[in-house]
Amino acid sequence: MKVIMSLLFFDMAFWFYFATMLFYFAYWITKKELLGQASTVLAIISTFAIFMMLVFRTKESGHAPFSNLYESMTFFVWVISIAYLIMEFRYKIRVIGAFVMAIVFVAMFATSNLPYRFQDIQPLNPALQSIWFELHVFSAFIGYAGFGIAFGMAIIYLIKARFEERKASHFLIDRFPLSAILDELSYKSVAWGFIFFTLGALILGAVWANKAWGTYWSWDPKETWSLITWFVYAAYLHARVTRGWRGKKAAYVAIFGFLSTIFLYWGVSFVLPGLHAYASQ
Amino acid sequence: MTTSDKNPIHKIIGGKIWGLFGSLKFVLFILFSLAILSVIGTVIQQNQPPQFYVGEYGSKWASLIFSIGLENMYHAWWFSILLIFLVANIIVCTIDRFPPKWKATLETKIDIDAKFIKNIANNHTIVLQDEPQAVKENILNILHKKRYKIKEANTTEGISLYAWKGITGRFGSDVVHVSLLLTLVGAILGSIFGFKDFGAFYEGEVTTIPVVDFQFGADRSWHGIPLPKIERQKRASDIQLRLDKFWIDYYETGQIKQYNSILTLSDSGREVIKGKQIWVNAPLHYHGLTFYQSSYGIAYDRVKQAEFVLKDSKTHKTAVQPFQAAWNIPYDIPGTDYRIKVVSFVSDFGYDPTTKTIFPKSAEHNNPAINVEIYKNGKPVARPWLFYNYADLFAQIPDSDYELVFRGYKGIVYTGLSINRDPGTAIVWIGAALMIIGCCMAFFIFHKRIWMYVRKNRNETEVHLGGMINKNKFTFERELLEIVESIGGIKK
Repeated sequence: MKVIMSLLFFDMAFWFYFATMLFYFAYWITKKELLGQASTVLAIISTFAIFMMLVFRTKESGHAPFSNLYESMTFFVWVISIAYLIMEFRYKIRVIGAFVMAIVFVAMFATSNLPYRFQDIQPLNPALQSIWFELHVFSAFIGYAGFGIAFGMAIIYLIKARFEERKASHFLIDRFPLSAILDELSYKSVAWGFIFFTLGALILGAVWANKAWGTYWSWDPKETWSLITWFVYAAYLHARVTRGWRGKKAAYVAIFGFLSTIFLYWGVSFVLPGLHAYASQ
Repeated sequence: MTTSDKNPIHKIIGGKIWGLFGSLKFVLFILFSLAILSVIGTVIQQNQPPQFYVGEYGSKWASLIFSIGLENMYHAWWFSILLIFLVANIIVCTIDRFPPKWKATLETKIDIDAKFIKNIANNHTIVLQDEPQAVKENILNILHKKRYKIKEANTTEGISLYAWKGITGRFGSDVVHVSLLLTLVGAILGSIFGFKDFGAFYEGEVTTIPVVDFQFGADRSWHGIPLPKIERQKRASDIQLRLDKFWIDYYETGQIKQYNSILTLSDSGREVIKGKQIWVNAPLHYHGLTFYQSSYGIAYDRVKQAEFVLKDSKTHKTAVQPFQAAWNIPYDIPGTDYRIKVVSFVSDFGYDPTTKTIFPKSAEHNNPAINVEIYKNGKPVARPWLFYNYADLFAQIPDSDYELVFRGYKGIVYTGLSINRDPGTAIVWIGAALMIIGCCMAFFIFHKRIWMYVRKNRNETEVHLGGMINKNKFTFERELLEIVESIGGIKK
């Protein structure tokens, strides 16, 4: 029997991520340093496993691993894991891991439950055979990851800010960093996300479309939704410097932005017709 | 603006409008409006024929959609107005904010005192035993290492120092705003001076490429003011395109791998590009024109050859075995006096009773019909249209025992090429590049400013130090503490 290595690594990563999420939650609740270190180690192993999955998938399919939903979801998981790990090492804030890994595990769970026709290796159709397509998706997904982390931060921020306002205390909430720091981290994630999203989803997408179809912009639903998402994050960046919008309202915009991102990624391909509907073929 | 004498009404209103466009809240309003409206455009399919909307939403809603312009909403006047508002917003905000920002960042106060620093939120005081001059040298050293630029001024009581870096970060947002305007300018230029065309090309055929010309006229006016008018006229250019070959590559699984066309271009009768292969993602460029491989299909108005069978019109039994007649070439039906010639074809038969013409209803092969000239002993006897789907119709050859049945055909594959010219594209790409540069400036270069005041206090030296940053406060707090520590003072 021939073992499909990518599937093997996917299953491995799935369970590792599950364990990672549990460990981060355990660390959050108990605040035991050993559990925290174990969480980080598990996160690194999971990230490596999903990386190996992508490597083998590329080898098996002969093209970059983001030509269908299954591949791109896995890729998203990998990018968001890397982004989170970088943040954890830089800012030494581990409790956030519980939230990020929860998002990652939800993504893994959704991916593993995709109908088989979305998981199948498909040869690339003519339009997808372009370096611009690969750069476009690669960069856009880094953007998605940034937005995903910002989303997690914004939720914690809202909870934390509420407790701070009421001067309330709860041991779980007290373990989160100050709301001002969460706001700053959320902003940083959006900033990174915004640059890669603008570059990947909008600009490189336009370059590719111009090469493939002769129009850099055609108001196709996917294009329009990426513009909508871009508007929302542009609003977020402006809200942060607008009196009366700083803090909570800005956090809601960040949450709203990620919901828009999710629709851009999943909703458009399944619900709306257009050039990007190949994802559902 | 309390007295109306000093401020006439138009100034008040003008000021209010200016204020509105200069406010960030209005920016947020426009961004959210654009976002929400764009959603509608993705839910209601755009640019479909009217019957589509009637079928989908009912006639009442369809007429509403058409009256508001929701069927082509990204080009509706109200959507354009929102975009114009966004542009106005960017311009007004830049005019309002840029000059004071420029002034404030470049002309910073240098000769300050301890009180000034105490008012900065993030401040420290260090007391040292060294002489002020030595302390100053040490500070300069430390900050130089951290790549700060420094200015100093001697005041009556002590030395004031101002260190800064990352001024460019302040102007990142302006670069982004300019880049947006540039991108829009490129898009508008493209929509005025560009054109896009689509054509079906057959192997071996030579086609003259159309171009669109522009003329500026001023025959329209608005309240006596002449308005420029741009006329777009399509005409044949000197450029001719010949399709040498079209083919499709397949994967082993049978899925399509690539569409390829080989093109030859001639300009004013001279061959300029010979046998250049294009495929999806690899277009051909020539003098601002670009040729894209866009689709392919089976010809709707011609066939390579058609297959017929001659039957006995009484018994409906085959009289002459199936035979193939090539397009436009006379064919003698073996064993008879008859000769046929295939002269016309439509893939989806349509008949216009007013002009009495036959036309293809669509490019789909829904109701293929073929027009055949029939000769007997060299004399024309009939010219029927025969239907693939309705074999009996008009099949009878007049004054004979035969019926001619249209059994099938071999289509001709054409390549679908998009041809376009868009002189705005380069500007759009410049705008895009500037946007990324501006974002990087705004997000990753921080304007850090540190004011220091060094003075002698009895036999000690006092250093007051205060820092400001435009964003990224927490990292800067840490950096400032590091600086304080390396200056080596006891923190008070």
